[in-house]
Amino acid sequence: PVTAGAIVVPYGHVIGNEKWRGSEVAQRLQGKVRLIFEDGLGLVDFHLSNKTCILFISEADLVAGDEFKRRLVKFRNASSLRGIVIVEKTQISDQYYSGVQKLVVLELGMVLLPVANQGEASQLIIQLVSFCVREQSRDRGSNPFLGRQRAPPPEPAVLQALQRIPAVGRTKALLLLQRFGSIHRLCNASSEELEQVVGQTVAQQIYTF
Amino acid sequence: IPRVPGTHSASPCVLAASRELSSGAAVLSCLRAVHGLRVRLCPLGSSDYIVSTRLAVERLLQSELQSPRNRSRLSQRLQRLQGAFQRICVIVETDRVRPGETSRVFQRTQHYDGVLSALIQAGIRILFSSCQEETAALLKELALLEHRKDAAIQVPTEPEGHWRDLLSFYLSIPNLSYGAALNLCHAFGSIAAVANSSVAALAAGARLSRAQAEELHRFLRHDCDPELLP
Repeated sequence: PVTAGAIVVPYGHVIGNEKWRGSEVAQRLQGKVRLIFEDGLGLVDFHLSNKTCILFISEADLVAGDEFKRRLVKFRNASSLRGIVIVEKTQISDQYYSGVQKLVVLELGMVLLPVANQGEASQLIIQLVSFCVREQSRDRGSNPFLGRQRAPPPEPAVLQALQRIPAVGRTKALLLLQRFGSIHRLCNASSEELEQVVGQTVAQQIYTF
Repeated sequence: IPRVPGTHSASPCVLAASRELSSGAAVLSCLRAVHGLRVRLCPLGSSDYIVSTRLAVERLLQSELQSPRNRSRLSQRLQRLQGAFQRICVIVETDRVRPGETSRVFQRTQHYDGVLSALIQAGIRILFSSCQEETAALLKELALLEHRKDAAIQVPTEPEGHWRDLLSFYLSIPNLSYGAALNLCHAFGSIAAVANSSVAALAAGARLSRAQAEELHRFLRHDCDPELLP
């Protein structure tokens, strides 16, 4: 049973599955984030926010067989949460990694992040939590990978585009824009109208382009 | 409409940036020789690979994500991609160990985890690869996946003569990807046809999202202010 959306994560907290109590991950998280343990989280190991949760796959899970795959598929089918799968990728479990990646990322469309051990997992969780907090506080501008800048005025780009027409250089492009204003109007200009701006030959070339 | 069997059997096409010839030669040869994909080198300004009409793939080395030094360059690149593509995938590739160099121990930094978190939050897909050969295999998987979802690049990618001039014109339009420019060339007979098209027709013809088609439509009809012309 997956409790989708039923878990409410207080701001800046992490809710951990009871089974992680006393683990290395939990010990390292303590003090850095406010960690609360709860019973009955089902398939989920940690809830980072109301929308995001973590499923942890250990080295032992990978080696033991396909049980973890059933767990992931079950989660994917039952839950609307954004699931981040953290997998313990060690020298022993390395050989299984590409298979897991294919399943998780390409087939299930979830996020997969490899770590070498539980220590790295806790560092990663701390970073993920801080981003979840920022997301909740709508401070999205702080994400360097989200496009946010307003588009620059298109005039220089329009001028650039016109210069890609054969026989049109900077000067003619400027003249054409002053006369017609937009690419749309230039496209619908007759060859006579074009001739008023540029010579007959060039007008013909623009017209046929 | 039932599809004629065989029309989709042609191997998927992948566009690769010319610069990958020097930095990812093994990826390219692997795509061609092992996976039998059609690989076409193009002067792609922004992305490393274009796998379908909507998906761009960036190949990054793990060491590039380790230190904050590359941060602004990386975010600029990815922001530009987000203007032009609906989906972005990043392949994080383990650095090659050069002959004579003992295997470097990968020290996971806080910055590295921060970058991964930011990528996830931005909705960018991340794949991990241990070498160039594996990167090629991942690119093939992505191409096949997009092919199944009917987003494959299906137009000829070798522009000739007049096509070349047209393509160059379309490529100068801001936020228009190489794939979309190719689609415009093939779906519309002339620039006038593009300029007179509705937003819906542009979206269908060039296989753009609604927002991208609107942006293109605005650009083509933008009335230039003589004051703002340089």
